[in-house]
Amino acid sequence: MTDDTTPSAMKRHWFHILVALADEARHGYAIREDVRQRTDGAVELYPATLYGSIRDLTEGGLIEPLEGEDDPDDDQRRRYYRLTQAGREALRKEVARLQGILDDARRTRALGSA
Amino acid sequence: MIRAGLAVYGLLLRAMPTGFRKEFGTTARADLGRMLDRAATTDEEHVPVVAAKACWDLMSRLPAEWWAHARRPRRFDAGRREHLELGRWERMMNWMKEMRLAARTLARKPGFTVVSVLTLALGIGANVAIFAIVNAVLLEPLQFEESEKIVEVRHHAPGLGFDDLQNSAGTLAFWRENADFYEVMAAFQQRWANLTGSDEAARVSVIGATPEIFQVLRTQPMMGRPFNEGDVLPDQPTVALLAYDSWRSRFGSDPGIVGSTIRLDGRPMEVIGVMPESFAFPDDDAEIFAPRYVDPDGPFGTFGLGVVARLQPDVTVDAAQRRSDEMMTRLPEFFPDLQAEFLERAGFTVSVGTLRDRMVADVEAILWILLGTVVFVLLIAAANVANLFLVRAESRQKEMAVRAAMGAGRRGVATSFLSESLLLGLAGGAAGILVARAGIPLLLSLGEVPRAANVSLDGSVLALAGLLSVGVGIVFGAFPMTRYAGDRLAGILRDGSRGSTAGRERHRARNVLVATQLAMALVLLVGSGLMLRSFAQLRAVELGFEPEGVLAVGMNRTSGEDPMVAARFFQDAADRLASLPGVAQVGIATGIPLAGGNVNGGSFYIESRPRQDESNELPPTAMYRAVGSDYFTSIGMELLEGRAMERADWEEQRAVVWVNETFARTHLGGTALGERIAWNVGEDQPQDSTRWAEVVGVVADVREFGLDNDDRRPNAYFPLVPGGGAAIELQSAWLTVSMAPGQDPASVAPAARTELRALDPTMPVSTVETMEQVVATEMEAVSATMIILAIATGMALFLGAIGLAGVISYVMGQRIREIGVRVALGATRGDVTRMILRQSLTVTVVGMLVGLGGAFGLTRLMGALLFEVSATDPLTFAVAPVVLVAVSLLATWLPVRRATRVDPTVALRAE
Repeated sequence: MTDDTTPSAMKRHWFHILVALADEARHGYAIREDVRQRTDGAVELYPATLYGSIRDLTEGGLIEPLEGEDDPDDDQRRRYYRLTQAGREALRKEVARLQGILDDARRTRALGSA
Repeated sequence: MIRAGLAVYGLLLRAMPTGFRKEFGTTARADLGRMLDRAATTDEEHVPVVAAKACWDLMSRLPAEWWAHARRPRRFDAGRREHLELGRWERMMNWMKEMRLAARTLARKPGFTVVSVLTLALGIGANVAIFAIVNAVLLEPLQFEESEKIVEVRHHAPGLGFDDLQNSAGTLAFWRENADFYEVMAAFQQRWANLTGSDEAARVSVIGATPEIFQVLRTQPMMGRPFNEGDVLPDQPTVALLAYDSWRSRFGSDPGIVGSTIRLDGRPMEVIGVMPESFAFPDDDAEIFAPRYVDPDGPFGTFGLGVVARLQPDVTVDAAQRRSDEMMTRLPEFFPDLQAEFLERAGFTVSVGTLRDRMVADVEAILWILLGTVVFVLLIAAANVANLFLVRAESRQKEMAVRAAMGAGRRGVATSFLSESLLLGLAGGAAGILVARAGIPLLLSLGEVPRAANVSLDGSVLALAGLLSVGVGIVFGAFPMTRYAGDRLAGILRDGSRGSTAGRERHRARNVLVATQLAMALVLLVGSGLMLRSFAQLRAVELGFEPEGVLAVGMNRTSGEDPMVAARFFQDAADRLASLPGVAQVGIATGIPLAGGNVNGGSFYIESRPRQDESNELPPTAMYRAVGSDYFTSIGMELLEGRAMERADWEEQRAVVWVNETFARTHLGGTALGERIAWNVGEDQPQDSTRWAEVVGVVADVREFGLDNDDRRPNAYFPLVPGGGAAIELQSAWLTVSMAPGQDPASVAPAARTELRALDPTMPVSTVETMEQVVATEMEAVSATMIILAIATGMALFLGAIGLAGVISYVMGQRIREIGVRVALGATRGDVTRMILRQSLTVTVVGMLVGLGGAFGLTRLMGALLFEVSATDPLTFAVAPVVLVAVSLLATWLPVRRATRVDPTVALRAE
């Protein structure tokens, strides 16, 4: 997914998780809530998909766990995640790619003159 | 509710690879707990919905996780880095290699492979076939634009004995005036007519419709033009559109058909267009569409018009129903002659339903039940294959353990199991598609199914087949894999050959599988038992006539003919058929029981009981028809009182009538003979003596409308050309050909056709079928369901029995030394048998109890299909378990017979 040459689309869940972690480190449930609120409930990350994706992203080196922080309003010990440098870079590329598509569309006036 | 959701989720989590479970299991459950709590306190979403979505999410994630798990070597594995660096190509090649290896392994065990593939093929094939039908008939929207906005409007008047009335010109005008929630409304009516001008004279279904039909359905002719207001004339229509199929089959796809002339009932009509191929309205049979005039000032009275409408974009079906209900109170304002009290007594209501629902109403319940049934069969089949797989996996424990010891790793073992089961699943799926291809036409031939022409093995159906194959493959591949891959293998090597004590846990897994199979088989057994009982009840229905040995021949004359001429023609035809060898006598009737035909009806008058107060009392109604002199005897209707009908009754136009028992009892106080009755008597001339007909006979009641329709209605029978009491048009009639004892009625059918063609080559013979076929058609819904359920049940029982026999003989094999020891120490054959029977019966009884519970819950869904049998029929619920136990005893007996013959010395030597 960090392939530099082909600007292929990133998995949607991955993208949303990376965006959720762009500003601050969060734990799984907080990521889910952030995505839900940001997308007005259009994207719902259920646990299996959420943690499966987190595991994939961790293995891909895009995010990393941050040990030892506690969520004040939860008695569970939860693991926090934050973006790695590679993750930030991948997110930037994906945003640029989306931007490019958007620009294309605007030029063809599919979305009206911007 | 929350706890139940979490429990199910927790169970499903177990299907995840251990790695995922250890790392995220607790957190995932805690997250779900929070989500469910929130759902319970807010009303954004419902708890079960959230839980279901989370479970679905987990299940759809399973393949990805196992795939990742299989690719990921264990920690500290030296090969890890290397593996991760393998390119996509190499990984694919590795899989190909595994698949080839798996194929070779399976080929070495042809028995196991063939049995597994066939079992899966039957299970998957049955599901694919039924799903193809469900998909085309129930799930696919109709072939009209925004078809969910098309509704049908019907009226009901149960108080008058008309549960399902359609519309009259008056009600159509009423709704057109008032119902602003319809964009456009159209009326239509089906009739049969003789088509000439094509290759051969034929009886065709003609739909007369108002021109708005093209806006309601948003359909245009494929060529030519639709009819419009200008084509609609109060008398006969002069233009017609052809359905695609009749254009193709009757006119050879003639591209110049538009502008040519066809004749319907002898009247010329100009063909103005051809409808597109996908167009089917109101059913597949309609061949000709013609404009129909509906009087905008028509009366409330005469019902029989179908009405379809297109809802305004923002109106739902429910809203339309609600607002229609409200508007019903305005009916008396609209029709000044109509008394509100009359409407109330009649129970007059309106119902609005989507056209799709109305089209498939008859088969919807049956199809869902059948789909449920075949899902059960597939589960049983999959359980069987899983069982086989488990047995085989065990026999290969050593091989696997050795492979693991030599460094194959969990991944290698897992992959080899998975690739074999996947391969079996795919082969089963491919064979299943063939089964479905062969099965679909068979299924559709069992009964009349609406929209049957749409049924095909299309993309979504094939996708289901693929999904089932892969799903089944993964499930029964994962089953032994989770149990035997990895850590346990070391234990197996250590165990050495001490097979006799190992595997209590393994037996449990297999026992659970078999008990589940037996439980599901019992549910199907109860279901088919209930259908069988319904079928038997239908067979036992007192018809009131004798269908055996009777051939029914439908004939049609053009409309508007002089009744005397038509009557002579029909009598001629009857006489000709009566002279055929083997024929005893031939009756004539404008309508016969169960097959329909022209039956007139309406309110009637009794001379001796003039009505007192018109507004306060509903006038009694009854149906009547015209029959020939030999009709009653030809179909075995009993004459209870009075005289038989003679030919002179119609030749001399005598004012006489026969009534049935119900008529005599309910309207004439039991003393019917000599009373005078009449239909169609105008209010102004009730005393006109020439209008009356005298009751000269009483005949037994007959089931006219359906086997399951027990409301006995008054019926009257006039001579072919009545001298009073009613007027009857003799456009079409049935000949009831009764055979001499021992003669097959079907054998005379070809000769009958030849005779009738010789009499009048331009007259189409619409139907030739035995009355037994007519009765069988009535039972079609029940008999077709019964047949399919019986086949499914047979398969389920058979597979369940194989599963049980497999377990028993496997256990026997495991315990053969133990048995040998017991026999050597003096145990009798009976002791050994009892010991094994106990195990088999435990499994059976557990399965039976679970199955009875399931059947109790599930057979309620069959209520609509059952006839005079309760969904919890005690007899069925008592007999089905007995059958199950008998089958499982048989399945136990075979392996036991072998075991009890064990020679102790041989058994011990095996050590």
